[in-house]
Amino acid sequence: MTGAATKHMALAVCTGCDIGRCIDTDQLIDATGQAFQGITCIKHGSLCSPDGQAGLRRTVMEKKVDRLAVAACSPRVMTSAFEVDGLLVERVNLREQLAWVMEPGHEDTRMCAEDQVAMALSKLDAIRTNDPYIPDPVSSDILVVGGGITGLTSALEGARAGYRVHLVERSDRLGGYAGRIHKLLPENLDSASLKEPDLYKLVSEVTGHPGVEIHLETGIRSISGEPGNFEVVIENSQVSTLHIGAVVAATGWKPYAPDKLAALGYGSGRVKTLEEFEQYVQEEQLPNRIMFILCAGSRDEDHLAYCSTFCCGAALKQALYVREKNPGAEVYIVYRDIRTPGFQEGFYKMVQADDAIFMTRGVVEKVDDQGDSVAVTVSQSLLDDLVTIHADMVVLATGMVPNTTTDLQLQYRLGKGLPELEYNFSDSHFICFPYETRRTGIYAAGTVRAPMDMEMSREDGAGAMMKAIQSIECVKRGEAVHPRSGDTTWTELYMERCTDCKRCTEECPFGSYDETEKGTPLPNPARCRRCGICVGSCPERVIGFADFNINSVSAMIKAVSMPDEFEEKPRILVFVCENDAYPALDAAGMNRLKFNPFIRIIPVRCLGSINKVWVSDALSHGYDGILQIGCKPGDNYQCHFIQGSELNEKRGENLQETLETMMLEPERIRTRFVEITDHHGIMAIINEYMEEIDLIGPNPFKSM
Amino acid sequence: MSTIVTDIAFKRELVRLSGAQLNQCMQCGNCSAVCSLAPAERPFPRKEMVWSGWGLKEKLIGNVDIWLCHQCGDCSSYCPRDVKPADVISAIRQKSYQHYARPRFLGKLVSNPAWLPLAVAIPVAVIIAILSLAGTFRIPDGPVDYSSFFPHGLLNATFSAITLLFYLLASFGIGRFWKDMKRQTPPGEAGMKRLPVFTVLGEILSHSNFSGCTSRKPGRYAHLLLFYGFALLILVTLYAIWATFTDHYPLPLTSTFKIMGNIASVMIYTALGIMTWQRLSNKKVFGKSGYSDWLLLAAIGLLTLSGTMVQLARFGNWQIAYHLYFFHLVAVWFVIMYLPFTKLGHIFYRTTAMLYARSIGRK
Amino acid sequence: MDNPIFIIGGGISGITAAVELAEAGRQVVLIEKEDYLGGNVSNFNNYFPKLCPPSCGLEINFRRIRSNPRISFYTGSEIQSICGSDGDYRVTINVKPRLINNNCTSCGKCAEACPVERPGIPGGKSVEKAAWIKNGLAFPMKYTIDPDVCKREECGKCLTVCDYDAIQLDAQQAGVELQAHKIIVATGWNLYDPAKIENYRYREEADVVTNLEFEKMLAACTRENQKLSRPSDGRLPLRVAFIQCAGSRDMNHLPYCSAVCCSASVKHALTLEAGYPEIESEIFYIDLRLSGRNEKLLKVTEGKERITLTKGKVGRILPSGKENGVLLEVEDIDNGTKRQELFDLAVLAMGLTPAPVAAGLKENEYGFYVAGQLSGIIPTATCKRPMDVSSSVKDATASAIKAMQG
Repeated sequence: MTGAATKHMALAVCTGCDIGRCIDTDQLIDATGQAFQGITCIKHGSLCSPDGQAGLRRTVMEKKVDRLAVAACSPRVMTSAFEVDGLLVERVNLREQLAWVMEPGHEDTRMCAEDQVAMALSKLDAIRTNDPYIPDPVSSDILVVGGGITGLTSALEGARAGYRVHLVERSDRLGGYAGRIHKLLPENLDSASLKEPDLYKLVSEVTGHPGVEIHLETGIRSISGEPGNFEVVIENSQVSTLHIGAVVAATGWKPYAPDKLAALGYGSGRVKTLEEFEQYVQEEQLPNRIMFILCAGSRDEDHLAYCSTFCCGAALKQALYVREKNPGAEVYIVYRDIRTPGFQEGFYKMVQADDAIFMTRGVVEKVDDQGDSVAVTVSQSLLDDLVTIHADMVVLATGMVPNTTTDLQLQYRLGKGLPELEYNFSDSHFICFPYETRRTGIYAAGTVRAPMDMEMSREDGAGAMMKAIQSIECVKRGEAVHPRSGDTTWTELYMERCTDCKRCTEECPFGSYDETEKGTPLPNPARCRRCGICVGSCPERVIGFADFNINSVSAMIKAVSMPDEFEEKPRILVFVCENDAYPALDAAGMNRLKFNPFIRIIPVRCLGSINKVWVSDALSHGYDGILQIGCKPGDNYQCHFIQGSELNEKRGENLQETLETMMLEPERIRTRFVEITDHHGIMAIINEYMEEIDLIGPNPFKSM
Repeated sequence: MSTIVTDIAFKRELVRLSGAQLNQCMQCGNCSAVCSLAPAERPFPRKEMVWSGWGLKEKLIGNVDIWLCHQCGDCSSYCPRDVKPADVISAIRQKSYQHYARPRFLGKLVSNPAWLPLAVAIPVAVIIAILSLAGTFRIPDGPVDYSSFFPHGLLNATFSAITLLFYLLASFGIGRFWKDMKRQTPPGEAGMKRLPVFTVLGEILSHSNFSGCTSRKPGRYAHLLLFYGFALLILVTLYAIWATFTDHYPLPLTSTFKIMGNIASVMIYTALGIMTWQRLSNKKVFGKSGYSDWLLLAAIGLLTLSGTMVQLARFGNWQIAYHLYFFHLVAVWFVIMYLPFTKLGHIFYRTTAMLYARSIGRK
Repeated sequence: MDNPIFIIGGGISGITAAVELAEAGRQVVLIEKEDYLGGNVSNFNNYFPKLCPPSCGLEINFRRIRSNPRISFYTGSEIQSICGSDGDYRVTINVKPRLINNNCTSCGKCAEACPVERPGIPGGKSVEKAAWIKNGLAFPMKYTIDPDVCKREECGKCLTVCDYDAIQLDAQQAGVELQAHKIIVATGWNLYDPAKIENYRYREEADVVTNLEFEKMLAACTRENQKLSRPSDGRLPLRVAFIQCAGSRDMNHLPYCSAVCCSASVKHALTLEAGYPEIESEIFYIDLRLSGRNEKLLKVTEGKERITLTKGKVGRILPSGKENGVLLEVEDIDNGTKRQELFDLAVLAMGLTPAPVAAGLKENEYGFYVAGQLSGIIPTATCKRPMDVSSSVKDATASAIKAMQG
């Protein structure tokens, strides 16, 4: 397949790192020159060396090259060496994925090198640069929703960093639950006395800071737009519009519904929740025997399956309240485990210094208000097999349930709030990227995101504000945020062919697409994370990026020369996602594992970005198999775009029907998942697939 | 199924006696794990710590395990919360002495320093009474002859009688103790074996239970010395009593038993020296040394010392000989008569507990 | 224009602070004392609760570093001194001798030729040459030569095989002075020394390892596609004991709790359970501290027959005599028994202590750095208190915004 070379195309081949010993680079250059007329080709023993770099830049300048293919090492190394302003560069991995892993001098190795170079050049021919997309007008203001401890901290940190912050709070006062606390854990956790609440200090700092505008008794009517350009309509005594760059959602928590805890005695006047007791202790007299039951309705599949993190510390603190207020009182604590991690361990020990606090591990079987006292039956206790303890009052250490974020009233096609994940927390489910939101520019913080205590909430609010600021600064540069940070391409749609099927809208994990009144998809490029899942979803192939689109990948597919079925040289197209699968291939190369020379690798942004037209292109071009390798989906997903791998798998099921109508075997298309560390595994996947294809023989369309 | 009622007063007593912040125990079980004497079934002392934490007197007094403990201190040494389980066990033992003391007032008498004057006054009064009745309550002239002050026959008779009386009364308490042990730790399906007297005797004579201790190695030797020194002195005393009947008394320095007695004294001095030094230097393992610890060490020390002095006074014809003798007799009272009610009562209680434990197969 | 923000420590926290700040438009300088970025977590096998590999997130972060011109970093470098005040610091760093320069293409020939062998280093193999590259994801992807063991010009074999002029055997230590607007301290943690717990016989027993060593053993197995083998005889350990609170929550050692070890051991047990049908794990704990959503990991262990959770702190490890194994002594509190049992391998869940750095920061009574006392020097993540990875990332992100203030 010959590609018309523009007069600005060039190929630089590095012969270092064994590439020159593995293939005849002169032959490669010859073959490429013939396939791409007018292309400039250079060769160097070490393109990354100062000499090689100088030579390369000289050539680029002299020949006015604007598209450069660099056949050398992996694009994951020597990155800055081959980044030249204004130049479109495509890296061909002839080292980790060829010279280090295929047989030197062999014909198949040569063919592979030629094909990969041809693929790169065909891609270069099909792509272009674009101007970055920057919303207009752009705002650097930040909206913080929720005036509790998290929202307050977030607002203050943002204002201190020089940004204007709008803090919106539904009720008539700031502080949330943290504002109703009786006392705090001591500063020095070994010290004996609880601290007076100091939230008022934070509140006064926030109200006093000129960078924060506070809107009390205010609700949100709607949020529309995109990062850098959100239109937020708020309502209190009047309706007003704010122009906002990013949002921090700190809408907090509510206590677990205690009426569900009738089995633990709730309903009796003598049985209270932690929150109720926090108020009770400030207002009423305390009886002489008070029992705390920890993990009440938590760590329990029938109630809250998770641990709420703060309750052990809070209950121990309340035990001290009791003792302080009623020196004659005895406190009993029944626990499953005492979770006072970190330095809170010192607090636990300090609380235990009071010998009128009695603690035992145990499982509460029954709480029975007998009128004059409450009889609590405990099994698996450390005291005896089954015991009953009488108390005058019982406090259930109930957990926290996150609020929703639907109050954000996002005018997004995919819903009003942030997607809720496990246990209804609006979280990212990424360990390394806890803030990575599914709604770009909108960051959840505090207890709405994960169970946490007050200190953790403050840190969380600060972190979310940092992400909000970052998203604004990136959008002002027209750049995508994590994980494709710095990417200035954006979704371009050829609307003439759009049939309004809205698969792009539904499958976008980030809600980038809204709908016009007519029902046509409306992209919001600043919301976009540039994963390309919409590229893969569109049956009409309407969507693409300047440097990654239907044509560019089709061109790569067709650039591979296809031996006929008698040569017994199958061709397997391997789509690898650039996040986990590609690095795994590189690692296989670093470890010098053997690669099959019949594979042709096309890196993609996400498995979800694979469009079925590429599959049919590949099959009609004669590829014997199409293997798609990407990050793991499922509950513990590692896919960096959340559902790309999953979508690819689902689409694969539909593709099976296409294969059947084409009378092709189902093995011709496969999706497999791999972890980034699994370089042995990815090799095994490829080799097993080769065996599968061997068994079914060559693609019958090969010579057509 | 039992109802738990806290006894904070009892708990606070244990805290006071042990000097341990026992409430800070986090029930990790490290103590039971490092204890070389803890049996495989329901080991100690972790459970005793949580029972102490709730003041559950009925689980602690009459608990056989606290007597299987030989106070080696490994548990305290390795306790991550530094709550000194060894001292808590020791405190429970002290409460046991008082609980099982019959008559009760004698238990109280030797447990509180406030009562010390009275504790001293009783033997003083009794001895004076006996001597007055015998008409010998004066300092005799001439070379020192203790029998002219306190006739040997009278001494042996009265002191033996009083000792036996006290021990008899105490045995009611020990009987109660046996019943409580049986109730708390009933024999399993295996039932009770015959009293394994020889097994227990063997353990005691060899001090084998001490050998697992890593924290207080000198303690084993000290206790061995004290034990055998004491045993030797008892033997000597019994011989002396017999000797008074055969008129071979007082014994000359060269008498075998006299020599044995003096060797025993040296053993006891050494033992007490080691024990005192350990208590003072190794607070981590020993924790707080309380009144009952020092009272016993002092009593045994003064008894032995006064015995040596009495001997020397006789040979040297000292003026204060009879005063020393009087003092010695008061010391005897503290060590021997008060025995079931002081820490020395462990001779009875621990032996009884070991007998019970071994007979139900608790090893 | 403000001076750059200086970040001490190139582990997950330092890297996070760097990329978050750089993408928000700030200049950042990062220094790391090891030869590669990634810190402690880059040597881990997997994270809890997802049991996913650390290099997955690190790869993305390294990509973000690579593509961001606002980040510059120095490996093999340590702080010598910090002068100045908030907003205007002068930081002097020592860069250890760079025997391999930036021309390195990681072709690997120097390591092949190198004759000097020594025991492994963090991130490397168990026996490593003087010329080596980090196992797994190495960033920067360059070889390095340990200047302390290299024979330099006396040997020079690597010079003869390097085609890229990348080796300078006469390189010296360099001092570099840099300006900084603010300083983020992300120096991370070390483990408490297990040898200090005499009862656990760490030095005497080959098959008693720390949680970090176990993590690295598992990581090596994943990398080399090998089976787990125990140190003493290389056999597969069939019974593995996890000893929680080893030297933690302990007045004789670290009085505080290190927050992550319970989750880590459960994670290890689940990893073993999934990969080895022959291995049984038992976790000996005081309290099971899997807070928040990590509780889910506990739920997952419930159905697994080969994982046992036993309440009771292991008191002692005894010499096992003729049998080759680890003899534990523990009270099994729920079953009311005291057990003395032989395991094939024991993993001590050791606690975290802060890695020291000369930044003039005040320490609390546990030796961790106290935040908020110096306005321009911001400690973050595990040098402040023990915390897990996602909390460290969160805290580092929070420290980034503080570095943007004032």
